[in-house]
Amino acid sequence: MIFSDYLSLFGAEALLTGLALLIIVLGLFMKNKNLMGCLSLAGLAVSMYLVMAADQTKGAVFYGTMQIDALSQFFKLVFVTVALIVVIAGLSRYKNHPGQDEFYGLLLLATVGMMVVASSMDLISLFIGFELASLATYALAAFDREKQNLEAAMKYFIFGSVSSALMLFGFSLLYGLTGTTLISGIADAGLADMGPVTLIALLFVIAGFGFKMALVPFHMWAPDTYTGAPTLVTAFLAAGSKKMGFVAAFKVVLIALIALRMEWYMAFAILAAITMTLGNLVAVWQNNVKRILAYSSVAYAGYIAIAFVVVGAAAGQIDGFSIAANGLAGGLLLILAHAFMKTGAFVAAAVVAYMALSDGKDNPDDIEHYAGLGHRAPITAFCMLICLFSLSGIPPTAGFVGKFVLFGSAIDAGLVWLAVLAILNSALSLYYYLRIIKYMYVNEPAGGKISEPKGYVLALVVALVGVLGIGFFPQVFVDLAYRAAEVLLL
Amino acid sequence: MSSEMMAVDYYIPLIMFLIVGALTPIGAMAVVKIISPLKPTFRKGATYEGGIRPIRDALIQYNVQYYLFAIVFVIFDVEVLFLYPWIYIYTSEVIPKLGGVNIAVLDMAIFIIVLLIGLLYAIKKEALRWV
Repeated sequence: MIFSDYLSLFGAEALLTGLALLIIVLGLFMKNKNLMGCLSLAGLAVSMYLVMAADQTKGAVFYGTMQIDALSQFFKLVFVTVALIVVIAGLSRYKNHPGQDEFYGLLLLATVGMMVVASSMDLISLFIGFELASLATYALAAFDREKQNLEAAMKYFIFGSVSSALMLFGFSLLYGLTGTTLISGIADAGLADMGPVTLIALLFVIAGFGFKMALVPFHMWAPDTYTGAPTLVTAFLAAGSKKMGFVAAFKVVLIALIALRMEWYMAFAILAAITMTLGNLVAVWQNNVKRILAYSSVAYAGYIAIAFVVVGAAAGQIDGFSIAANGLAGGLLLILAHAFMKTGAFVAAAVVAYMALSDGKDNPDDIEHYAGLGHRAPITAFCMLICLFSLSGIPPTAGFVGKFVLFGSAIDAGLVWLAVLAILNSALSLYYYLRIIKYMYVNEPAGGKISEPKGYVLALVVALVGVLGIGFFPQVFVDLAYRAAEVLLL
Repeated sequence: MSSEMMAVDYYIPLIMFLIVGALTPIGAMAVVKIISPLKPTFRKGATYEGGIRPIRDALIQYNVQYYLFAIVFVIFDVEVLFLYPWIYIYTSEVIPKLGGVNIAVLDMAIFIIVLLIGLLYAIKKEALRWV
């Protein structure tokens, strides 16, 4: 392995790590820190190019603990895109803020942690990536230093630490059972017999990932943290950090523990059904828009978890491979779609909160402030509209493509009850999305037109292009998702 | 069957060691309690602090800054923990060379530079200045 190989396979992570350290050092010596946002933006754009350039390559670095393949590049693309949108919005939000170097530095480090998780093929490097991303986001959740920020960060920290401990304990049991931490090695060991130790290992691993994915009953932290954290950080948590839980669970559950699929498949079916129903039912009663979006994010974890169930159910069927590939591709598409539409929706919520605060209102995330948004801030309202349509799964948007492929594969796999439940849930979710839309376009405006900050508008437009791009040209992204799904199944 | 017997045999010394180990301090304290004369005075009940008379309660408030010192200390503590195994293997044959440079030296250099950036950050943010 020569140096240039490392650079082409691992260049994006190396660049972002170096840039994060550079930003932290520069921030110590510079008075005007507005440069930091532009630096991060440039770094993320270059690393996005590096990720896409390595799209077709397949290779392992660091003694096989990190693997670059279609799956890892797919998730890295998701993480870098989310970070990019958040940084663009941050250019407006944290302009002239004295601590913006720390904001961008932590954001880049969290992105690197997620990218490491996406390419880890070893439990140890997976855990280190997990912790890097978690520690950086714990600090980010308290970034604005308001009272509700601290509450959010504290809850996130405590739940996150407990989930890390559970996960690590599960990993240690897997190591004890198989004698290796390599994911492929654990898969080769084939833990087919279900002893008490295997059961506990499986339980702890699922619980550890379940916390990060915010699956019911491990979701309690998510609504409080998403509501209390600074809105841009919430966007990053909901759209990025949660997906890290999914990629880690895909790797550990679908590759390492595939021999136990009969055991985890029913567990994931029940978790998915409860998660999406509870998330949607609770969201209906909320008046705080960030809380609505947080519960909708919990519901989405339920939809995406259907991918696990489909893979488990498809095994042993006649055309099991193509059904499983369909299910995983659907899950991946929904992850990509959710990244764009949730980031867009939270950035729009950040604009409204900014507007409400400059009007001198308290409780800036209340749905009352969305009254007449179509007149007050037309671009924000339109982007929010498209993102909400996409979240409820109306064509031609990204959410429709993902849900169509995923729910279709669930029917093919013989999980008609789960597919019907998911579709009913989507219909239910339309109620609270339409409620926000009604406030935005039907209710009387609560004030005059405002000028929307440029950074927010640019971030919204990027998210909108993503949502509509996937909706209008699904074939490109479906192919991408299939190639990534095949990595997990082969 | 025989292998299970052997597994139990293997643990018998450990179990005996545990029992004897647990009984020794309990027995010693019980014997002392029974045979020693007990005449408590104030000075006997006082905290033993190297022979010097204790000046106040141990439960005092100290500056929250101590916490930052402790964190910076822990970081370098862990660094040393990493250096020990590194010293053991960095000259060995199995470590690959990257363009003539020993990759273990390179890795450790990167690790220490990142830590030094952290130290620089702590110094510039005045985390290490006692006020």
